[in-house]
Amino acid sequence: MRNLCLSRENCLPRRVGLTLGVSSRPGLQWSVANCLLCTMLLCMTLLCTMTGCGQSRLPAPTPDSEAAIALRASLASDSAGGAGGSEVVSTGTGWGTLTGRFVFVGSPPAAKQLIVDKDTAVCTAEGRKLFDQSLQVDEATGGLANVVVFARKVSRVKEREMPEEPLVFDQKVCEFLTPVFAARVGQPIDVRNSDPIGHNTNVSGTSFNQLIPAGEGTLFTPARETGMPTMVTCNIHPWMKAYAVFREDGYVAVTAADGSFTIPDLPAGEEVELQVWHERSTGPNGALAADMPELDWSSKGRFTVTLEADGTTDIGEVQIPASAVGS
Amino acid sequence: MTHFLPFLVTAMNRHSTFMCRNRFSLSPVALVLTVCGSLLFVSGCGKTPAASFRPNMVEAAKQRLKPEQEEQVATILEAMFGTPDNPIAMPETGLDIGKLRLAAGPVHSDIVGRKNGLFREHCSHCHGVTGDGMGPTAAFLNPYPRDYRPGWFKFKSTERADKPTHGDLVTILNNGIYGTSMPSFELLGEAKVDALVEYVKYLSMRGEAELNMMRYFFELDDEDEGKLPETRDFLVEEILLPVAERWQEAEDAVIEVPEMPEVDLAESIAMGKELFYGNKANCVKCHGVTALGDGQANDYDDWNKVVKQWSDEVQSSHEVSTKEMSREEKAEHREYLARADKALAGDALEPRTIQPRNLRQAIYRGGRRPIDFYYRIHAGINGAPMPAAAGTLTPDEIWHVVNYIRSLPYEFDGELGADRSMVARDRL
Repeated sequence: MRNLCLSRENCLPRRVGLTLGVSSRPGLQWSVANCLLCTMLLCMTLLCTMTGCGQSRLPAPTPDSEAAIALRASLASDSAGGAGGSEVVSTGTGWGTLTGRFVFVGSPPAAKQLIVDKDTAVCTAEGRKLFDQSLQVDEATGGLANVVVFARKVSRVKEREMPEEPLVFDQKVCEFLTPVFAARVGQPIDVRNSDPIGHNTNVSGTSFNQLIPAGEGTLFTPARETGMPTMVTCNIHPWMKAYAVFREDGYVAVTAADGSFTIPDLPAGEEVELQVWHERSTGPNGALAADMPELDWSSKGRFTVTLEADGTTDIGEVQIPASAVGS
Repeated sequence: MTHFLPFLVTAMNRHSTFMCRNRFSLSPVALVLTVCGSLLFVSGCGKTPAASFRPNMVEAAKQRLKPEQEEQVATILEAMFGTPDNPIAMPETGLDIGKLRLAAGPVHSDIVGRKNGLFREHCSHCHGVTGDGMGPTAAFLNPYPRDYRPGWFKFKSTERADKPTHGDLVTILNNGIYGTSMPSFELLGEAKVDALVEYVKYLSMRGEAELNMMRYFFELDDEDEGKLPETRDFLVEEILLPVAERWQEAEDAVIEVPEMPEVDLAESIAMGKELFYGNKANCVKCHGVTALGDGQANDYDDWNKVVKQWSDEVQSSHEVSTKEMSREEKAEHREYLARADKALAGDALEPRTIQPRNLRQAIYRGGRRPIDFYYRIHAGINGAPMPAAAGTLTPDEIWHVVNYIRSLPYEFDGELGADRSMVARDRL
């Protein structure tokens, strides 16, 4: 090392160092460390040029080009082919009612306080605080509210009349009064605003993003069913959040404060698959999984049950552990 | 190698003023430099690989897709839409393959006077080869370039949830978007602009089809073994047609704009001002009592909101305790989180809040004709928090608000119901 240009004024590492500003005066005696540093800098620059400083991105899958060409040919020809097992064959008769109760195991984490920075004269009047309502557990019964249960695909739908009165979805003191609500496709919903200030209700996934003046309401009729529940927000007051689910067949329920739900008029005598959802669930797309193998409860939050005709089938208490629900 | 080294050493020792003269016969620095230099030639400068579409990795990670599922989606997309160099237009899409070929591919020319590869040349550096709004320059732009994949477009003449018409997109290309980095491409000429608009629609349909397919994995029954059915019934009828039909319906979904009411302009402006500050339209809640767009700064547009909400979910999933999970579940959980973090880091732009428009600058992104204002207020802005006033304000009232807004940059009195006076620099 000592022999590395300690006295040489024009040596390459020193010239690099001067360019990089490592050493200022050419006349200065160079230390070994300086020389090493310049050498290393030079090497690293070259190495970086070669390898590049790429962040590791997720590896993208390569499409199978030959299979793509074959598929293209088969799609172009008019060969039918089924839609892949989406038809459900009816094997039973009659209609039954499904009930159950969701229970939260343990004590829920404290609800976070929402940041309210608009219209504080109305929203936080008299020191009122607004809290996140995504996890509502009943103190007395341990029931988990606002769990959505709906039938995925049914073979037959009982003819029921659409309710005459529109479903009321209201907002007051800068909060949606119903954190999760369900409706049938085609059922009119009266979106109301009981505040002295204006709100706009934005139902994502639909065309509804409407200004609602103070004290008034607007009718909204969902035209399509949502898959899993969709978010409802207010753009003027961004902390406001609710969820809505619309189903064609109307076989949907939201658990009450004590965690219980009822879905009447489901097809009886055959297997019916139901999907379960909760806003805070850590499962895919909010699916809520429970440990109930007797109901074939899958990790996608689905369970299967066969109902008895003209009776009530109770799936009992479904225990939801704290780990299934995010913080 | 052994014959080479002495030669090298002698050669280097000859240049004694350049290299260090030292007792060792070979300078370590010189050796390292030579090795590095030769490696450079060996490794780096090969042929440019063909461009390829980047899958929607954020959605794939969100839906917890396995690699074979991602590959299936990529293969189906290649079958239905082709590659960036060779696009395919299925008849159901209603796209013109001639225009697509003009816009697609690398910049090249087969016929004298005609240049292909328009999208690659003019658009992909911001919008990305996939139209995902994540081209090389995207991270440096504010606002971010449009991501076509969800199929939402802001500035159009149709109702909120509808697609833009062909004319709407041509207008955007011809005028650019004033106040953003989107320039005007009018000088390209009508034929090329048409071709680019067609290619944008193609990328948007492809992106939406990809999203629908990725989300459909969740809807599969267990018997399907995690594979999408590759049948015409499913791919065309369920995945492609719903998207293509919305585009075709756009031409008929243009908002009908009634005549401006026959009112004295000053009166109309006064009525518009009342509505602007009133409780029906609530404009000041976001645009601010000074109309400077300072009413609110904590909401996101839909493209950023998707990333932000999922990022928050992933964050809270990180904090979930894994004590009660089985070993399998724990491994799955960790893998999901690792993929999610990588997707958010490498395949998504940093979420940015959206600023309501400063109405005193006379910079209107969607166009500044009176009818453009009418469209924005009537239907709101799709993808942005701007709501529709259609059911709340009558058409006449909308026109009064339009007139007021058009007068805002020229309002000098400073007494606007504002709690502070208007200073010139506040306008910016």
